[in-house]
Amino acid sequence: MYKIILEQKERVSKKEDLIITLAAIGIAFVLVGIFIAFNGVNPFVALWKVMYSSLGSSYGISETLVKSIPLIFTGLSVAIALNSKLWNIGAEGQLFFGATLATAFVIYGPILPKPLELTVLVILGAIGGAIWASIPALLKIKFKMNEVISTLLLNYVAINIADYFLFGPWKGKDNFPYTPEFPPEARFSRLGFGRVHSALIIALVLVVILYILIYYTKAGYKLRLTGSSLKAAKYAGINIKKMMFMVFLLSGALAGLAGVSQVSGIEYKLHQHISTGYGYTGIIVAWLARTNPFIIVIFAIFLSILLKGADSLQIAMHLPAAVGVVMQALILFAILGSELFKNYNVKFIRRR
Amino acid sequence: MPDNKKNLLVHMVGINKSFYGNKVNTDVEFTLQEGEIHALLGENGAGKTTLMNMLTGVYFPDKGDIFFKGNKIIFDFPGKALRLGIGMVHQRFSLVGNLTVLENLILGHPDNKFVIKIPDKKKLIQSYMDQYSFQIDLDAIVDELPIGVRQKVEILKMLVREVDVLIVDEPTTVLTKQEADNLMKILKNIANSGKAIIFITHKMSEVFQVADRITVLRKGLKISTVDKTDTNPRELAKMMVGKENEITFERPQIEIEPGIVEVKDLFVNSDKGVFAVKDLSFSVAGGEILGIAGVSGNGQIELADALTGNRDVIKGKFLFKGLNVTHSSPEKRIDIGISYVPGDRINVGVAGNRSVWENIIMKVYRLPKFKKGLLLNNKKLKNYSEEIIKKYNIFLPGINLPALLLSGGNLQKLIIGREMERDCDLYICVYPTRGLDVGAAEFVRKAILQLRKKGKAIILISGDFEEILELSDRIAVMYEGKFTGIFNNGEHSLEEIGLMMSGCSREEAAKEMGNV
Repeated sequence: MYKIILEQKERVSKKEDLIITLAAIGIAFVLVGIFIAFNGVNPFVALWKVMYSSLGSSYGISETLVKSIPLIFTGLSVAIALNSKLWNIGAEGQLFFGATLATAFVIYGPILPKPLELTVLVILGAIGGAIWASIPALLKIKFKMNEVISTLLLNYVAINIADYFLFGPWKGKDNFPYTPEFPPEARFSRLGFGRVHSALIIALVLVVILYILIYYTKAGYKLRLTGSSLKAAKYAGINIKKMMFMVFLLSGALAGLAGVSQVSGIEYKLHQHISTGYGYTGIIVAWLARTNPFIIVIFAIFLSILLKGADSLQIAMHLPAAVGVVMQALILFAILGSELFKNYNVKFIRRR
Repeated sequence: MPDNKKNLLVHMVGINKSFYGNKVNTDVEFTLQEGEIHALLGENGAGKTTLMNMLTGVYFPDKGDIFFKGNKIIFDFPGKALRLGIGMVHQRFSLVGNLTVLENLILGHPDNKFVIKIPDKKKLIQSYMDQYSFQIDLDAIVDELPIGVRQKVEILKMLVREVDVLIVDEPTTVLTKQEADNLMKILKNIANSGKAIIFITHKMSEVFQVADRITVLRKGLKISTVDKTDTNPRELAKMMVGKENEITFERPQIEIEPGIVEVKDLFVNSDKGVFAVKDLSFSVAGGEILGIAGVSGNGQIELADALTGNRDVIKGKFLFKGLNVTHSSPEKRIDIGISYVPGDRINVGVAGNRSVWENIIMKVYRLPKFKKGLLLNNKKLKNYSEEIIKKYNIFLPGINLPALLLSGGNLQKLIIGREMERDCDLYICVYPTRGLDVGAAEFVRKAILQLRKKGKAIILISGDFEEILELSDRIAVMYEGKFTGIFNNGEHSLEEIGLMMSGCSREEAAKEMGNV
């Protein structure tokens, strides 16, 4: 008879951290495999299908990259907040609000020359996201309201605001809930590889900028300190409330950019399905990447492989649409569960 | 050798433990008998707490066995030690802050049924309090209690669990003299009822006050176990530090520069929203140490927080070098030369899971010399940290590792080094040597005296009587948010200061002592 015992760890090395994370993903895959097997499909065939559909052709690769663009934005959004120990569960709502605000300009504003038009849309998208994030920020700072709840609930409000316009003033000519198509001036250029568009460049530039911001600037230092200990940050002279507010604005702005990249990069209109939960998947991306901007890119691509793969499983193997969600959920569970191994040594002891 | 007439409760044999290649315990043997108070003596980092963490199953020995009442024990679940009857009161308390005392005491108690009858529990706990003469308000919220009381709650929690072995880790570091004496009485009571107590400490006086036997650890090695009657402080000190050293502090006369600190009619709120500092006025000159003595929880922390901008001033004024900074931000105060060595060094003084270097630069990263265009010059900042580490002799595993891996003494050296290097005009030091071993405490006290020599104004808030008397030029005694006396060091005896700490005015205290 063996018994499991736990011993507290002093610290965990980066290598251990990586091994544990990869092992957790592996275990998640095994669990997903079991789930798929229960649906009457050979899990190995399914895995092959996932990999093949998202990486097996240049079309597949380009579509995977297309899905990774909003994920990089939302991943960065959640990560920057997590860096100062704030949970932004509201990237989804900020994405919608940003997209709605940008769309409003396309509909009501003048059509500007392309570079100018896109600049305005990007700025409006960021502002939209920031406005939406400022609500939970103020609630937290003024009334100490938990940001997990407020950001989450505001998602539904933002989505319903978008719905109001889609079913109301912006309704399409054929009475379907989507706006008219954007003029060419309001569309990101394709990069010559499938539907991959130039918002990818914006995303990658932001990755570099945020990395520098976090690790090589005063603001980044303040951010790291605030994230580590509020009391110590206050003691160091940092205005914590201001810090939190700024972080929320930045986080919201990044999520808002995900919205713009969807409406101006892929859909060329606003409708109800511009996001397939990118705001929520961004949480997994940020958590997996330990908030490091560069690693966010890797995990954004990793998760878009799964998202793309799940789509094709649904189409080709008649698996339920829930497979994608189940997959993400199991990965998140495995990752959260693996925290145990980072904080404790697990030993097996033989019981006499 | 263990006394054969008494029952052996605990026997630890050949205990080895290392962390990341550093040996913390090497072949340690330890015995504990029924009804004894066994002092575990040694400097910080000697391996005392680690040894006890193995006895309570927090860590597992790399090598060696632990016997309890003659049986070898394996800690196969976290609550095992407590279930067996071994309880430990840690230096960092393990109470749930937003629950009441009662809730904390019954939390996780094995006798709890699905439905807990609060009145019955209250009666039960009252009986324990009567037995060991505790006086605690069971309905108080733990976070709102002073540290001294919280510690009693911790001890009571163990007694309610009916432990046979009670381990207390440096229990008096947070207490005043009177509170500590009271604690000693409580511990003796507990030992008299047949329970064994392991008393982790580095204070010699306490050892001779309560211990029956003493085990001395040094650098992870057991030096010796002796009966109190067979030894003397000098011998123990020698075992503890490896050499005999007598510490003397010189406080030479220096010229003072008045007007660094002027506090007028200051009122500050506590967390509960009542006045913690009431109508306080005082001044401190450059080259002067003002020692503020008092039982913890009499407004000292609130005063320090208010002077450093970490707490709002309700009424009154604080002038620093003639400048009104009553409502200035902490940042502004840091910039104009007010330094703060906080009492809670682990949670406030450093950001524990950030690296050592990030903690050292906490107050200087904004300086222009560390800028590189729009960015921070991380390399220069790291070099600056390396210099401080060298200069202040801070022992650490690595500059990029989290600060919480540092031992208490080295952590305080880091904080002191960080603050001294900034060359401020006012230093506010709160409990600067609390929990430090002899060597580190000496370092800190010498550093404070050096600041004085440089002509800095120093406000020293301490619960350590000796420290206040050794270092201060003037002494203020704080009681319920007011000074019951403020006078030159030497004007009043220890006993008179003690009386002032419990609320007597200077005149009353002098009269009281005069009558004796």
